[in-house]
Amino acid sequence: MARKITIEPVTRVEGHGKVTIHLDDAGKVQQSRFHIVEFRGFERFIQGRPYWEAPVLVQRLCGICPVSHHLAAAKAMDVVVGVGPGKLTATAEKMRRLMHYGQMLQSHALHFFHLASPDFLLGMDADPAVRNVIGIIALDKELATRAVLLRKFGQEIILATAGKKIHGTGAVPGGMNKNLSPEERDRFLKGAAPLNIDQMIAWAGAAIELFRGYHAKNKDLVDGFAAFPSNHLSLVRKDGALDFYHGVLRAVDAEGRKILNDVDYQDYLEYIGEEVRSWSYMKFPYIKSLGKSAGWYRVGPLARLNTCDHIPSPLAQKEFEAYKSYTDGKPNNMSLHTHWARLIELLHSAEVIKELLLDKDLQGTKLVKTGPRAPEGVGLVEAPRGTLFHHFRVNGDDQITMANLIVSTTNNNEPMNRAVHWVAVNTLSEKPEITEGMLNRVEVAIRAYDPCLSCATHAVGRMPLDVSLVDARGRVLQREVR
Amino acid sequence: MIGFGNPGRRDDGLGPAAAERLRSRRLRGVSTDADYQLNIEDALAVSRHDVVVFVDAARNLRKPYAFTPVRAAAALPPMSHTLGPEAVLAVAAELYGRTPEAWLLAIRGHRWTLGEGLSDKAEKNLALALGFLGTFLKEVRP
Repeated sequence: MARKITIEPVTRVEGHGKVTIHLDDAGKVQQSRFHIVEFRGFERFIQGRPYWEAPVLVQRLCGICPVSHHLAAAKAMDVVVGVGPGKLTATAEKMRRLMHYGQMLQSHALHFFHLASPDFLLGMDADPAVRNVIGIIALDKELATRAVLLRKFGQEIILATAGKKIHGTGAVPGGMNKNLSPEERDRFLKGAAPLNIDQMIAWAGAAIELFRGYHAKNKDLVDGFAAFPSNHLSLVRKDGALDFYHGVLRAVDAEGRKILNDVDYQDYLEYIGEEVRSWSYMKFPYIKSLGKSAGWYRVGPLARLNTCDHIPSPLAQKEFEAYKSYTDGKPNNMSLHTHWARLIELLHSAEVIKELLLDKDLQGTKLVKTGPRAPEGVGLVEAPRGTLFHHFRVNGDDQITMANLIVSTTNNNEPMNRAVHWVAVNTLSEKPEITEGMLNRVEVAIRAYDPCLSCATHAVGRMPLDVSLVDARGRVLQREVR
Repeated sequence: MIGFGNPGRRDDGLGPAAAERLRSRRLRGVSTDADYQLNIEDALAVSRHDVVVFVDAARNLRKPYAFTPVRAAAALPPMSHTLGPEAVLAVAAELYGRTPEAWLLAIRGHRWTLGEGLSDKAEKNLALALGFLGTFLKEVRP
């Protein structure tokens, strides 16, 4: 009897996700799909609002990466107020960078230590009741302590630059509304151990060592799990360096050949299309020159380290060189290596934060500029999960008339589906029993992309893990709620 | 007191709204915090207090608010990037050896769509819940 396996929602993923794996009568995987209930209503909600509200309003999309939305919208509105890329004051641009790299630090630390490391350190077949941060504490209290404090340090950077935890107001069209006081700077630079930037750099480096140790003992799993070729897309600095805040758009194929050769993202509509498929609310972006079927791409840490030429900070660059040598300089297409790439980015973020903290421009007082108005603007940043597009049009009454957002998770829609299919084919097909460990491998594949699905309301009592087996006639054969 | 939720989703912002209003009262010995979600670093703050009240919006509640004790739960459901109050307490207990008295003040919400401001019904529920919380805090404050 043909069966359908449904996992809903996917645990430790923002919003609602559902995995459906269709098996034929012989138990072979016929088809697999990762469905996402994505909230697109926001783009309509923001229409009619004054443009200067956008950097604050867009943070309501997501409780995990509000800073990324804040900055992408601010960058788009910079263009609208005539202060596009490269025209901000030095203080404003560096304050934004500090905010953004603080966000990367806390997000990458949270993902690795809280979400991914339980799968590695406790094993994919470990009891779900212990395969979490509590299990990590039992295994290695020092590691868990670092997770808490790395996250806290990043959050404190965000608070000092954005002004508030909820609906931060630091970035405004054309600049920033605050600088960094010497007291704040000194707290981050020289704060009592362990809450200072030198400790964060040391811990980030140690996290890479941890991953490398796991990799050395589990090469087949880490290299082979959900590995598949793809295109890769991200911003890079004009000289090809890794840059999370600003740059040009570059895409390479699975062999490293350039598809998008450092183009201006203000023209992204010339290069990027979005396909709608009937079975998912989330669109499927693609590079137009390659078409819908071949133009899909990965974004995020794996993609960024595949597109950039070097990393502009010494310790991360050294790690990058080792990372690149593992694939002989070719793009890395191994899904679980995303964690390796993420940790190198964690280290880079900490190094950049220190460099910024030592820069006197952060105490400057020229914060906002204006120029000739433009009717529309596009803002891109490299969010923790990948490239984030914000595009707004504004009328003569200062009202937003159009908003188009392509969030990182949408960019990774097809890769996540491919990863789920890989797991389905390689671990679920023709097995007599669907085990917890096998189901968790589906989640591990998705988690590598750290999807964040425009946070739904989270009010008390929601989000159980609901697993159902349904036959071809729609009858529920088995249902489990984790 | 930690209020959590997304004010951009109407009544999901009940927790932060409660925190903001309590903060404005400037009560001695009471600290307030608000965020979109609870996370691992909240365990550090929790470990440094004697009594903790988590405030969240609630669906499917038949009364304006409910005040229930929270106990550390090590076997937490691995939900998303965020932690529940039980898990925050568990992290505080396991990592810092502290298990403060903890409560969940769940306030009934009615509207969850994108938008600003609490619904009228949620405002009434919030006022009732804060009245109760004021009495509770008088009893537990040193």
